Amino acid sequence: MSALPTIPRISLTWLLVAQALVILPLLAHLPLWILALWLGCAGWRVQIFRMRAAFPTAWAKGGLMIAAGLGVYFSRGSLVGLDAGVVLLVAAFLLKLLEMRSRRDALVLIFLGFFVVVTGYLFDDSILVALFSLLPVTALLAALIGLQQSAIAQRPWPTARLAGSLVLQAVPLMVLLFIFFPRFGPLWSLPGPNDKGVTGLADSMAPADIADLSRSGALAFRAQFEGEVPARSELYWRALTLERFDGRRWSQSSLAQSPQTAQWQAAGESLRYSVVMQPSGQPWLFSLDVARTSLDSTRLMADFRLQRNRPVDRSLLYGVESWPQAVREPQLDAARRAVTLQLPADGDPRTREWAAQLKREHPHSEQLVQALLRHFNQQPFSYTLRPPRLGRDSIDGFLFDTRSGFCAHYAGAMTFVLRAAGIPARVVAGYQGGEFNPAGNYLQVRQFDAHAWVEYWRPQIGWTRVDPTFQVAPERIEQGLEQALSDEQSFLEDSPFSPLRYRQFAWLNQLRLGWDNLNYGWQRWVLGYQGTQQLELLQRWFGQLDGRLLALVLVGGGGLLLGALALWLFKPWQRERDPQQRLFRQFARLLARQGVHWQAGEGARAYAARAAGLLPAQAAAIEAFADLYEARRYAGEAIADAQLWRQLRLLRRALPWRLRVADKRTQ
Amino acid sequence: MRTKLDACLSAVNQILLGKEPQVRLAMACLLARGHLLIEDLPGMGKTTLSHALARVLGLSFQRIQFTSDLLPGDILGTSVFDKDSGQFVFHPGPIFAELVLADEINRATPKSQSALLEAMEEGQVTIEGATRPLPEPFFVIATQNPVSQGGTFALPESQLDRFLMRLSLGYPGKAAERALLLGDSRRSLLPRLEPILDHRELGLIQAEIPQVRASDALIDYVLRLVDATRTQPQFAWGLSPRGSLALLAAARAWAFLAERDYVIPEDVQAVLPAVVGHRLRDQADPAGHGGSALVQWLLREVPAL
Repeated sequence: MSALPTIPRISLTWLLVAQALVILPLLAHLPLWILALWLGCAGWRVQIFRMRAAFPTAWAKGGLMIAAGLGVYFSRGSLVGLDAGVVLLVAAFLLKLLEMRSRRDALVLIFLGFFVVVTGYLFDDSILVALFSLLPVTALLAALIGLQQSAIAQRPWPTARLAGSLVLQAVPLMVLLFIFFPRFGPLWSLPGPNDKGVTGLADSMAPADIADLSRSGALAFRAQFEGEVPARSELYWRALTLERFDGRRWSQSSLAQSPQTAQWQAAGESLRYSVVMQPSGQPWLFSLDVARTSLDSTRLMADFRLQRNRPVDRSLLYGVESWPQAVREPQLDAARRAVTLQLPADGDPRTREWAAQLKREHPHSEQLVQALLRHFNQQPFSYTLRPPRLGRDSIDGFLFDTRSGFCAHYAGAMTFVLRAAGIPARVVAGYQGGEFNPAGNYLQVRQFDAHAWVEYWRPQIGWTRVDPTFQVAPERIEQGLEQALSDEQSFLEDSPFSPLRYRQFAWLNQLRLGWDNLNYGWQRWVLGYQGTQQLELLQRWFGQLDGRLLALVLVGGGGLLLGALALWLFKPWQRERDPQQRLFRQFARLLARQGVHWQAGEGARAYAARAAGLLPAQAAAIEAFADLYEARRYAGEAIADAQLWRQLRLLRRALPWRLRVADKRTQ
Repeated sequence: MRTKLDACLSAVNQILLGKEPQVRLAMACLLARGHLLIEDLPGMGKTTLSHALARVLGLSFQRIQFTSDLLPGDILGTSVFDKDSGQFVFHPGPIFAELVLADEINRATPKSQSALLEAMEEGQVTIEGATRPLPEPFFVIATQNPVSQGGTFALPESQLDRFLMRLSLGYPGKAAERALLLGDSRRSLLPRLEPILDHRELGLIQAEIPQVRASDALIDYVLRLVDATRTQPQFAWGLSPRGSLALLAAARAWAFLAERDYVIPEDVQAVLPAVVGHRLRDQADPAGHGGSALVQWLLREVPAL
């Protein structure tokens, strides 16, 4: 093997196109130097093909490899982990292009390309990305096909057409596998990329955190109700409760992680709905009070939040039943009472004093709460996303000096006052409201719908929800953030191009809602089609079924499909009856792949002579078969067909392997 | 035996330069006991070829120059009254030779032509009630000028069919013609040719040729060819069974000359133009000579396998 089989022009063309297409959707998640590396490698490769440049030397390759490794280390801070891993993989994918000399190298590169396409889904699994990934897959297939074509073939389009039709032919099989193939749990868990789920509620809250969240139009989750959607002012989506206060921040208490079960009694009508949640990187799920879900490895914790045993790092579909009028925890045990009355040892003296005064005026907690809400309503409090800075005693500063803030300020201050007055209370963080999408009949809840409200406890009645923000800015609760901020013009001020800012244009809004509906369907029906959903669908179709039957359906369906395909491809009813004719057809097919097509008027000997002239390296094998065939067919010698097949096999091995691109001349 | 055949061929090729394929076809025609029609312009070596063949095969040779006033008796012979015996004595005509060259056959009247053609087909002649067998072997090599030339009576299809092959010699190549010009006169070379085969050997070879194996697959090919001439619209009429027999016989002889004891499609294809070219007419031009275009079509389109 002095000369390795070179990479045909068409394959190289498609490989370069495929590489561009593979990297394009990933660019947002890759450091910039990758772009430079890609352009450099592609340019060098083209120059190599044009024989204007040499292959890189071992030194150059080693240097590039070390440089790429260092680049990954400095831009990602590590060589391991998902982020760094993907960058490393892409860098390898690019550098391999330079090193590629033989068909084997090209194969490695192509399969690496398929793998890189899949890693793209780690960052983004939306419908657009999924559809786009068909392009690099087609281009990679074209490169794979081109690899088997003659080096002199010039036109790249027929190859791409063949690749496209291959992809299309794979669609039925893909659908079948999607529907029937059993979903296995992950064998190991993969931490999500770092830049994913940056927005969302955290397990502790300073007022500024929610203000940050309110600047994001990113989707938090979608919810679809069975039956009427409750009034907007009833849609308090609980995520978690914040029971510990250190003077500046509210955070989850240590009690929140205890395996205590929630104490509650169902009452009134229940609501049924399903939620498709975006990845949040946090373990809690969103629900209306008091929720019960069928999702496995999820439970209702003692503070009535739904908690999963692992973070939601990919979009998640779950069904929920909620009892909004349920009585929650009518008896409060000592530990929780202590937690929900906890205050810092000192600080905010004015507030404490005011609370003591309120307590004297209103001995009943119910009256005290009403008085407090009246205070917020009647005093000149204002709702703004740009509150003035607060000093060391933040509650004092807010209640008596600045008097402007947003939900987190009001909820935090109110809880503080209630606790100071001896009433158990806590801050609840979550989302409020949501935009109804009539196209798909569901609610979409975005990050700017993040909200904080208050729960206080009364004996026998249990926890009661109260929202001080409603007293200050009722339009926030009834209509949403945009209306609440209409004077201030601060709604999504950092994202001037967000379509959410242009809801006043009806057609744009229609378009936006329709697009969101499409994405919802994708999440709900494609990405969300996992374990339970799959089982439910299959059971609806086939009744009760177990794994064995499922396997049978899968294998049977696949077999039928492949069988039908094979029938259509090989057309056995057109098959040559005469076994010797079949032999000759096979012979002609082998030679046709090398570009020597049999012509009707040609006898075996003439054809073999012509082929031998065009393929001198294989002349001996070609003529040996023709001689044997002639002796068998015309001289009547007793030669077994098996011997002829053996000769044919020898010939096939002698010929370089070629995939035949659909060629009408041979049909 | 085969080496002697090869020697015959090379001997003829030394006389008739640069015409190996035609010489081989002519040889195959004789070995298959067929008569040969050579159609070409005057002076292309038709006579030389037949004369040389007769010499190397050791056959007695007679030449009949056909003219428009040639009578059947000039070919077959006549009975002349012998005064001594007081009886009619038959004087055999030039047809009583083993190899007869009927030169410019289409210059004679149809009556004379048919006298020759009857003799060719029957292998005997009947004159004045007496049937006389012709010698064995018996070959006729007829030459004719192209029909377009003046003073010709075209042979009717029924009579063309009697010839196993029709050949056309064509102009010699440049190198062959150079050698021809530089060398001795062909006529002076001819007498120097020694007979290579004797009658017995020729008979043996001729007897061997029908033994050349034609497998079912090959017969299928011949049938496909014949069928195509009968079913395809461009053919004015199809090949007769005599035509298909002729094709197979010629192919066998060709295979024998190629030192094979079985026939392959390439043999059929090699003799096909010569054997069927004069038996076919184009539908669009039944009077003309569309034969060779039709033969090319057959060679190209009928699957050989």
